[in-house]
Amino acid sequence: MPEYLLPILLFLLACAALTVGMLTAGTLLGPKRTSPVKEMPYESGMDPLHDARRRFDVRFYLVAIAFVLFDVELLFLYPWAVANRNPEGLKEFFAGSEAAWHAQLLVFGEVMAFLLLLALGLVYAWRKGVFRWR
Amino acid sequence: MFLETILKFEVPIKIGVMLGGVMTAAAYFVLLERRMAAWIQDRVGPNRVGIPLTKIRLFGLGQPLADGLKFIMKEEFTPSHVDKQMFRLAPIVILTAALAVFAVIPFGSVIPSLVDGEPIELVVAPGIDVGLIYIFALSSIAVYGVILGGWASNNKYSFLGGLRSSAQLIAYELPLGLGILGVVAATGSLNLQQIIQHQANSGLWFAFAQPLGFVVFVTAAFAESARLPFDLPECEQELIGGYHTEYSGMKLLLFLIAEFLHLVTAAFLIVMLFLGGWHFWLITGSDNDIGWFTALIRVTVLCVKIFFVVAFFMLVRWSWPRFRFDQLMSLAWKVMLPLGIFNFMAVAFIDQIGRLFIVPLFSDEAFGEIAASWMMVVPSALVFVAALFVVAKMHPHVADNRPHRSFSPGIDSQL
Repeated sequence: MPEYLLPILLFLLACAALTVGMLTAGTLLGPKRTSPVKEMPYESGMDPLHDARRRFDVRFYLVAIAFVLFDVELLFLYPWAVANRNPEGLKEFFAGSEAAWHAQLLVFGEVMAFLLLLALGLVYAWRKGVFRWR
Repeated sequence: MFLETILKFEVPIKIGVMLGGVMTAAAYFVLLERRMAAWIQDRVGPNRVGIPLTKIRLFGLGQPLADGLKFIMKEEFTPSHVDKQMFRLAPIVILTAALAVFAVIPFGSVIPSLVDGEPIELVVAPGIDVGLIYIFALSSIAVYGVILGGWASNNKYSFLGGLRSSAQLIAYELPLGLGILGVVAATGSLNLQQIIQHQANSGLWFAFAQPLGFVVFVTAAFAESARLPFDLPECEQELIGGYHTEYSGMKLLLFLIAEFLHLVTAAFLIVMLFLGGWHFWLITGSDNDIGWFTALIRVTVLCVKIFFVVAFFMLVRWSWPRFRFDQLMSLAWKVMLPLGIFNFMAVAFIDQIGRLFIVPLFSDEAFGEIAASWMMVVPSALVFVAALFVVAKMHPHVADNRPHRSFSPGIDSQL
């Protein structure tokens, strides 16, 4: 593992230790009392009728699918956004000639076309009523 | 000798400072929020708790400590109808993820080297080039905590709250990412320190260079940290407590701290991405070769900015009504996402034009970059005004926007 990642690992361990430590402290120091009513789900005083995990609205699935689609597309844009500002590799590849600029512009155009397609996809989902909550 | 020992323990010390600072900040922001709520509602608020066994009150500064102590002494109760492992796992997951984000968030600029050599960077893990992706990945884990809690509770309020909350969190993650993308496209880095450095060098904060992205990002940050007007995950009046209805004692405290940490993270990100981080014109300078005094000023500037952003969050909380769920989803998908895509395209275009036509006009390339970024403020402002105009035209203000059941399947005329 590269050395510069070590602080992150340590930090993650410290966070987990802090969280678990707080829970343990609560378990050790708190009282222990229970009663049948306390064991019931809290539903504003009504006796719960059935298990809570039942079917739910299909629109949640639609939103989740739309999210996965758009989020994955967005992830493609991060490398481009970084590389577009740091064109050293391109310049090296084209040995400092004008072609490096042209290649960069071509990729820029492609990314814009990609974004337009993404926007079209959004319009399609919109027209299909995916985002309609009523 | 002593200084060298400190250097050896640099990382543990930084971790201690960061965790301690963040936890204390979260505790005292709760007090600030309560005092602010009291101020807005014309009450006094918690001002009693000071030093125990004396009559010294200290404006209620002892309140967070007393609250913490109370939470520790409460019963650690797990009801029998829940999925026990998931039920215990949920708060651990959500708080660990909320804390771990701070590994790559700088809490200042640099301090001069103690012995000799490089100045010490005030961030737990310096030089992580994918810092923003790391933050993004960990903040997505919050959704898991919410779903786990809501599902494991086996309670209808928790279940509905968890579903709603996850739908909201994932819907607003897209505008959040698009807001960040604009900044990344303009700086070419995913490292928060370099993004701040970029703003310090040009003296132009991204809030002015990309006003539309700023608005999109702040709105999404409000929703991601589940603050009013987007606090539908909890909405006490409708869902009792949302996904943490069944939680009590220390587990509830972990959820509440995680929520406040999301607010603090959002404030940090807003300040660092769009409000210049530790930079302020004329008083902080921009290079890393600084003395103790400037280092201190930079940390102070950062803290003051974060304080103001958090105060803004709280002011909004107590002055806006809550959105309805369909309004929330329409805002995310029909306003913020198109605006985010439009903003990113506009930023990329403006940036590219600046580097094609304006930078070559200057002999010094670094100066040309700065001049280009300043000249691009005007088109960015035009983009902002145009976007606001289009949104206002597309969503006319109507008095009756109650949801109605549509009986015709297929496409609504209103969509």
